[in-house]
Amino acid sequence: MAYQWRSTFRLETIGRELRGVALALLMVAATTVVAWALIRYLDVRRGSPIYLIPVLLAGWHLGLVPALVAAIAGVLWSGYFFYAPFYTYFVARPAEIINLTLFMIVALVTSHLANSMKKQAELARKRENQMSDLYAFSRQLAAAPTAADIYRAIEEHLATLVQRRVLLFGAGRNGASDVAAPEPVEAAIASIQRGAALATTVSDDTGNIWLVRRVSPRTPAFGVIAIDLGGMPAVDEIRRRVDDALADAAATLERLDVARALNEAKMRSETELLREALIGSVSHELRTPLSAILGAATVLRGSPAVAQDERLRSLAGVVRDEAERLNNDIQNLLDATRISRHQIKPQLEWIEPADIVNSALERRRRRLADHKVVLDMDSNLPFIYVDPVLVQQAFVQIVDNAAKYSPGGSTIDISAGRNGHDVVLSVHDRGAGLTKDEMAQLGERFFRGHRLAGITSGSGLGLWIAKAFVGANGGRLQAASAGADQGTTVSLFLPYNADATQPEAAPDD
Amino acid sequence: MTESPPVVLVVDDEVQIRRFLRAGLELDGFVVEDAETGADALKSVTLKQPDLVILDLGLPDMDGGDVLERLRSWSTVPLIVLSVRSNESEKVRLLESGADDYVVKPFGMAELLARAHAAMRRQVRATTGEPVVKAGPLTIDLAARIVTLSGTRVTLTPKEYRLLQLLAQHAGNVVTHQYLLKEVWGSPHMHDTHYLRIFVRKLRQKIEQDPTQPQILLTELGVGYRLANPEVAPRVTN
Repeated sequence: MAYQWRSTFRLETIGRELRGVALALLMVAATTVVAWALIRYLDVRRGSPIYLIPVLLAGWHLGLVPALVAAIAGVLWSGYFFYAPFYTYFVARPAEIINLTLFMIVALVTSHLANSMKKQAELARKRENQMSDLYAFSRQLAAAPTAADIYRAIEEHLATLVQRRVLLFGAGRNGASDVAAPEPVEAAIASIQRGAALATTVSDDTGNIWLVRRVSPRTPAFGVIAIDLGGMPAVDEIRRRVDDALADAAATLERLDVARALNEAKMRSETELLREALIGSVSHELRTPLSAILGAATVLRGSPAVAQDERLRSLAGVVRDEAERLNNDIQNLLDATRISRHQIKPQLEWIEPADIVNSALERRRRRLADHKVVLDMDSNLPFIYVDPVLVQQAFVQIVDNAAKYSPGGSTIDISAGRNGHDVVLSVHDRGAGLTKDEMAQLGERFFRGHRLAGITSGSGLGLWIAKAFVGANGGRLQAASAGADQGTTVSLFLPYNADATQPEAAPDD
Repeated sequence: MTESPPVVLVVDDEVQIRRFLRAGLELDGFVVEDAETGADALKSVTLKQPDLVILDLGLPDMDGGDVLERLRSWSTVPLIVLSVRSNESEKVRLLESGADDYVVKPFGMAELLARAHAAMRRQVRATTGEPVVKAGPLTIDLAARIVTLSGTRVTLTPKEYRLLQLLAQHAGNVVTHQYLLKEVWGSPHMHDTHYLRIFVRKLRQKIEQDPTQPQILLTELGVGYRLANPEVAPRVTN
């Protein structure tokens, strides 16, 4: 196979040279026509330098051999035309010998010059390509959002460098390659990752030889690379080439500070995970002591000794209420985390709309104790098909807001009615109301009206959660207000599909 | 009550929770025993013969659900589950495994006592066959199958009566949708929650003063129904 490859190569070169020689002779012939015209019409007798033209051209464009052929042919023809005995190809006079030598030197020098210039041009182009590759690579690295993206970029970069199939694996467990390497290669990768050696070769089941090595002997963070060398016998030679390429690549990675980029990308994704895990565990850890505080406060409040003293009783009430409020804040954080993780999965069932309202009011009975609550519920509303717990939690948020942003003693109207194809649950308060700007921002995560910051505290998560919960049930939330201090109406619209899907009557007997 | 005070077994690994439960329960007249682990709890139920068990789900040695199941294989002691997770399907699972009711942490003492008394009275009713259940103005005579509202007889269809009867037997404790559906319409309709919605609406129109604001037949969203039980007036108020 190797022999065949070499002979093909030689044939190709010979063909190219022959074409060059033919072209060179053609140019000499063309020059001869010009020379003949010069002699015939202008009687020029010392025109031999004209034959330098084909030599120069051949030397520049076609290479050494055609240039030499052009030089010899040129000397012969110039002897024929310009040196006595005229019209013979005899080369004998010193002038002609000098000519021949001169032509030969011109051929040599031009072809050499041309050759080296071509090489330089090619080198420059190659370098330019490398630079632009490198530039693209570094841009990719800088923009990579995760470590896996960085690995992928390195993998591509190395594949172009080595010109082979390349799999790259991270230093840790999270390898970048989506493609799994064959079994024995995996084992080799694992052993290199453990640091057993810097490089090794293994062959897989199909007889392909793989080179497995660290990308950089110095920086383990760059990971382990597995290169499919195919079934080529010249493994050592390719391996040397790969080593050279990887030495370059490792230096590049070092220079581009890939190790840091990798760390940063890992940090970015880990920070997000950590934050959510933290919220989860902190909430859980907080709940146990909160349960003890709240429970103990209710026991204290009801105990005979405390119950007799109104001041102590109300103090115990403060502990209870604040513990409850803290618990609600924690619940909101947990809900917000669930929403941003897309973990809201509604458990749909048919439900009486009034049940949702009543259950929410029951949960907020104490909170609403200072307000006058006026209920107006249509007793013949259609059932709705929603997750009743989620909708109730959304409604609780709205009720909380109404209680929070309206003065004690004022009236809160709560209604359940029908509007087109929606069941509408509404809360109307006589409180702080909403300006146009506030209305626009309402329901954004962490939005709290600055105007009201002094009145009451809160995380600003409430309406955002309510919106998400109602949205998950196919409904929507709408807020309306005539302006600052004009009160607010917040409504939940829950579709019920007027005709088709009301549940069939249950069998009675 | 001239009999000896009821014994309650509190199973929770958190010492602070046990302390407030002990105080609250003792103030209400219970004798309190406690256990920190599931294994302890199972042993104590045999040794102490409690009248009520309060079981926390997050135990160090075994899952609270497993404790419940093992306990239920040989004991019918009234049992209230304490859960930190307000997950409806889990509540349903626990109720189906034999818990009488649940309370979600954090909770006030009054709520726990109401559930506890209801669970204990259900036990008494089961052993003595106490025939009359009262819920506000509503009286259900289980022996005579007569329902009266402020003394006036209420006419119910057989299925409406069956529904009310099931709730009355659990008076004050929650009864799951699945249980009610199975008992009234049979197993094939276990998940036809809308049957219940329709029947409960009809029932409420017959027994509630304002059906949109029920005071007797209460909904536990995502779990089931319970009958309000004003007879249980806890001595500790919230």
